[in-house]
Formats: sequence, structure tokens, C-alpha cells
Amino acid sequence: MNERDKIGKGDHEKKEPLYAGQGRILEMIVTSAPLADILTRIVLLMEAQADGLRCSIQLLSNDGKHVRHGAAPSLPEAYVKAVDGLPIGPRVGSCGTAMYLRKAVVVTDVLTDPLWSDYRDLAKSCGLRACWSTPIISSRGDLLGSFAMYRQEPRGPNADETRLTEAATQIASIAIERQQDHVLLREREARISLAAESADLAFWVLYPEQNTAWMSAKGRAMYGFTPDEPLTRESFVSPIHPDERIAVQAAFEQVRASQQTFEIEHRIVLPDGKIRWVIVRGRCLWDEHGKVLEIIGVTIDLSAQKQSDLQLQVQREELARLSRIALMGEMTASLGHELNQPLAAIANNAAAARRFFDRGQIDPAILKQLLADIAAASHRAGEIINGIRGMARKGKSARSPLNLNAVIGETLRLVRSDILIQETAVVMDFDSRLPEVEVDPVQIQQVLLNLIMNALDAVEALPRAERRIIISTRSLKGKRVEVSVRDFGTGLPKDRPDQVFDHFFSTKAEGTGMGLTIARSIVEAHAGTLGAEDVEDGGARFFFRLPAAQGLTISKAA
Amino acid sequence: MRSMAGASWRTTQDMSMKSEESAVCLVDDDPLVLNSLRHLLASDGIATRSFDKGETFLAHIEFYSVALVVLDIWMERVSGLEIMARLFVVSPQTRVIVITARNDLAVRATAVASSPVAFFIKPFSDEKFLAAVHNALAQGKNS
Repeated sequence: MNERDKIGKGDHEKKEPLYAGQGRILEMIVTSAPLADILTRIVLLMEAQADGLRCSIQLLSNDGKHVRHGAAPSLPEAYVKAVDGLPIGPRVGSCGTAMYLRKAVVVTDVLTDPLWSDYRDLAKSCGLRACWSTPIISSRGDLLGSFAMYRQEPRGPNADETRLTEAATQIASIAIERQQDHVLLREREARISLAAESADLAFWVLYPEQNTAWMSAKGRAMYGFTPDEPLTRESFVSPIHPDERIAVQAAFEQVRASQQTFEIEHRIVLPDGKIRWVIVRGRCLWDEHGKVLEIIGVTIDLSAQKQSDLQLQVQREELARLSRIALMGEMTASLGHELNQPLAAIANNAAAARRFFDRGQIDPAILKQLLADIAAASHRAGEIINGIRGMARKGKSARSPLNLNAVIGETLRLVRSDILIQETAVVMDFDSRLPEVEVDPVQIQQVLLNLIMNALDAVEALPRAERRIIISTRSLKGKRVEVSVRDFGTGLPKDRPDQVFDHFFSTKAEGTGMGLTIARSIVEAHAGTLGAEDVEDGGARFFFRLPAAQGLTISKAA
Repeated sequence: MRSMAGASWRTTQDMSMKSEESAVCLVDDDPLVLNSLRHLLASDGIATRSFDKGETFLAHIEFYSVALVVLDIWMERVSGLEIMARLFVVSPQTRVIVITARNDLAVRATAVASSPVAFFIKPFSDEKFLAAVHNALAQGKNS
């Protein structure tokens, strides 16, 4: 189709004044009309200013090395086709050469000029004699294309024609540059969208002045917005979980006042009531007067991560619990022995009371004593059962400030019988001014039990006189507390001492090999460290260090 | 080793010099269990002497001829098994009733090897226990 018909060049346009035409073209540029239409309009406007004038606009191809057709509504189609795709170079007609040299090329007679030697026949067949081409340069100085004027008589441009060329290249430069920016912007947007969508990111822009917003498709899905629902500031605020709304709004206000990026983690409530954990990062763009133009940001969906964190925590707690139960299985002596003692006392005392009655010898003082002893024994049995239940219980851990000396004391009572049966001496070397630590007593008891049971195993093969373990506590610099359990066994594995902390490493036939691994994870969850080392004069020392509780409480001597 | 040698010397040379202990000796380092044993035997009219440490009982048998001891196995410092070994040397005529809160086969085998007259796992039946005590005391009189 002829471009002249498409744009609709009428007779009245012949007289269209330059300034009025330029105004219309600028309007087309601003309203993002197609570039081909705009360029055709420019050409027609210029042609309308002088009789016998034909013009064309050529563009520089994306590779920067070829001529690409822009607009030439008044030139023969054969000529247009022949020029389209020509390489730019030092002798490629007027346009190819002007683009190549980046300066105006005036050919007064194509039939004699050496620049046209390859295109002479083409020009002749199309009735072209003179051709003046001027490069179109962007505001950044980049070559965009060329604007050419053709005449049927051999001559150079007059002053009017030079002025028209200047106007044409200026306005064409604006049109082409703007179109290129559009393409770039669209490409960038597409890239960002692609990145955002593959990374579970919502990408959004909020325009506070207009109170409108744009959000990527993924973002709309994340927030539960429909694809075409118009967005405003309120659209962002209303899904925020009520507990966090004030904090998020404060963060938004702050970012409007500061130059910094803000980041806030919060929950959003979807229209269907589901809750999502998100992290929002944003930044403000200002104009030169300091007015906020837009707030751009990303929202990252953390739900999956939160969910797996939660699952991981549940699994870790369950693993620790199972390990405690396994540990209790190893403490067979203690659990049976400790419970059977008070039960025996209760049974004996009750039997004695019954027999005193049977014999009719009821001494109230003795009876009172028997009942008191029964009560005391029951109480003790109850404590032991509570201890077992505490070790086996499910549920969230609860931390409280505790004196580790006291926790060690209780733990030793739990394994008293195992220590007794292994005929091992336990030496306690406690720091009486030990600061308290903020811990879950059950979990720390589990760590201690692991270390103590391991130490008992380590000294098992020794002659009785050498069978001993040393449990000590001390304060360290930097408000830390250390507990160490030292044995006099054969020490850590020689090849790789740290392997005792590996999963499934066990020297015991019935050991799960998870004890120390779990002990370490418990200590680390308390912001502490668990380590082991060989001691010079024999055996190994396992130790854990925990931060002292805030407030500098000095526990009473254990 | 020195005290062991001394003890065996006295056993062989001075047995007749020991005083007769009529009461049943009770050895258990858990005061609640120890008291309950004392009351249980008292309810059956049996006099007892309580020891909450193995060492004290070992000192006692150096000077007293004990007919029957009710002995706990798992005690701190000196275990019931050690006391039995010592009794075998110092006072072979003393009969032993073993009581333990832990049914451990190895321990049971060791204890039984030292031939106690009865073996009870805590908690136990008062009937059977008292019957064993009476039985052991009667044996002592017959022997």
C-alpha cells in the first residue's frame, strides 16, 4: 500500500504551515503513534513546503551497519526497496555515506558524482537527479538515521531547503529516540517481569500523586488482586495483617521522607482468608524539586520458606524428643531403680501399718511416721515420673533463666544409679558464682545426659580406681558460661576428632549415633557452641558454652 | 588389703569374743527404704538395727556376731556385693537376704553365687519377705 494513501495526504496539506505541522507531529510523538506514521508525516510536511521536493527518512539498522527503510511516501517503490538494507559506507549514495560519515552529504548530480556510481541507473530510472542527505543524531549523540531531499534538476539546496532539513532531522530525532526508549523500556520491563515471575517476586510501582499503582501479574496473584482491578495506595494497605498495618504504614511514610531503601517483613491476608508471609523492599524516586514521583518496590513471598522453617523446627524438636527417649532407654538402671526405691518404701510402710492394726498395737506416733514416709515416698516417685514425662513430652520448648549448677545436680540425680552401677566416681567442680543462662531445662538436661552417658561409656573399660569423670562449670570472658564433662577414656577418634558429632557415629552397639549431633543442634539453638577435645593427660573433654542471661544475675551457690 | 588381712586374722582367732547380735541388721543407703524395712519388721515383732552406709555395717560385724542381714545391692561407695564378699570372710555364718531395686541378671547371678538365703526385687510382697526373714532366723537357731 502506498504510504501516501495511508496517511491521507490531501490538497489542504500542501499548504500546511511548517509550525502547525510540527505541532501535530509532536502530538503524535507524545501520544505514542507508530513511528512509521510519524516519519511519513514528517516527510509529507517537508514535501508540502516546496514544489518538486521529494524526501525520505532512512533508519540505522539495529546492527548499526545497514540502512533500514523509514519513510519515503513519494519515492517509487522500486527505489525504496533497492535502498532498504544497503550497508552504510563511504560510497553508498547520499544516505549510506551520510550515515557512515555522520555528516551532511550534498550530491548535486547523481549522474556524475562518484558516490552514486553503483546506483546511477537506479536513480536515473526513478527520475532522481540531486540528493542531499543529512544524518539524524540523537540527543545523546548516537546516529539514528538520515533525512534526504531529492530533486529532478541537478543543484544544491537553497536556504529554505537547508532550514527544512534542520527542522526535519530535529523532529525525526525526537520521534526515533523516543520510540527507541519505548522499546528499551518495554524490553527492560519484560526482563524484570520475567525475572520477577521466575523468582516469585511481585514487582510494583506506586504513584502517590495520582494514587494509582501498577503491579506485575505475579504480584497481583500474590496479593489476590484480579488481573485488571485498578490499584491504589489502599489496595496495598488493606491486605496487610492488622497486627502489622501500623508498622508497615510507618515504614512507607519513612521511605517518603528519607533517601533510603526500606524493607519490612509482614503478613498479608488474602481475600479467601489465607495468610502469606512477605518481605517488601522499596525505594522512592523524586523529581528535581524533591517531590515523590513514584515508589517502586518488590514483594517476595516467604510463605514457602516460613512453612519449611516451621516444619524444620517441628522435625528438629521431634528428633530431639525421640533422642531423649532413646537416651532414657540407655538409662535403664536409673529409671527402674529410682522409681522402685520409693515404691518399695510405700509398699513396706503400708504393709507395716496394716500389720500393726492386725496385732492391735497402734502407736499413733509410729502410724504418723508411716503415713509421713508414704507421703514422702509418693512425692519422690511423682518427681521421678514428672522428670521422665518432661523428657518424653511433646510441644514447644520454654526457656527460663536457670543456674546450670542446679541443672547439672538434677541431671546427676536422674542417672545416679547408672553411675552407681558403673562404679564411676563423679567429681563436681562448680563455679559458685556462675551467672544464670536462659535455657530450656529439658533440652539442656538432654545435652548433659548425653555428655554424662558418653563419659560413663568412655571410662567403662578402665579399672575401677581410675573410673572417674569430672564435671565442671566456669564463667568465661564475654558473659559466657562453660560446662565441661571430662572423662579418662581413650580420647577422641585419632583420624578425625570431629567425627563424634557426625550423624550415626556411634561406638555403642545400641547407640543411635544421633545423640551428640542433636546435642550440638540444641546448644546452637541456644546461641551456644558444643565442642570436644583431647586432654593432655588422657581422656576427652566435651564442653558447651552458652551466653549468660541478660541482667547479670549471679546464681546462688549450688 | 591390710584391713582385710586383719579381719581374717580376727575371724579365725577371736570369733568367740564377738557379742551376739540378736537384732536383724538392715543395710540400705536410702533412708526412706531403710525406715520402711524397720517398720515392716517391727510390725511383725522383729527387732532391727539400721545402717545407712555399708562401711558402718562392715565396722559393726567386726565386733558383733550377726545372724541375719537384709542387704541392699546398689549403694554409694560400698556396694552390697562387696559387703557379701567381706561377710564371706569375716562372718560366714551370717545369713543374707538381698534386696535390690534393679533386676539385673548379672548382679543377680553374682549375688546368688554368694548364696543369700533370699533375693527380693523392690518393691516386694511383705508376706514373702517376712516369711523369708522368719525362715532365715529359724535356720540360724537350728544350725
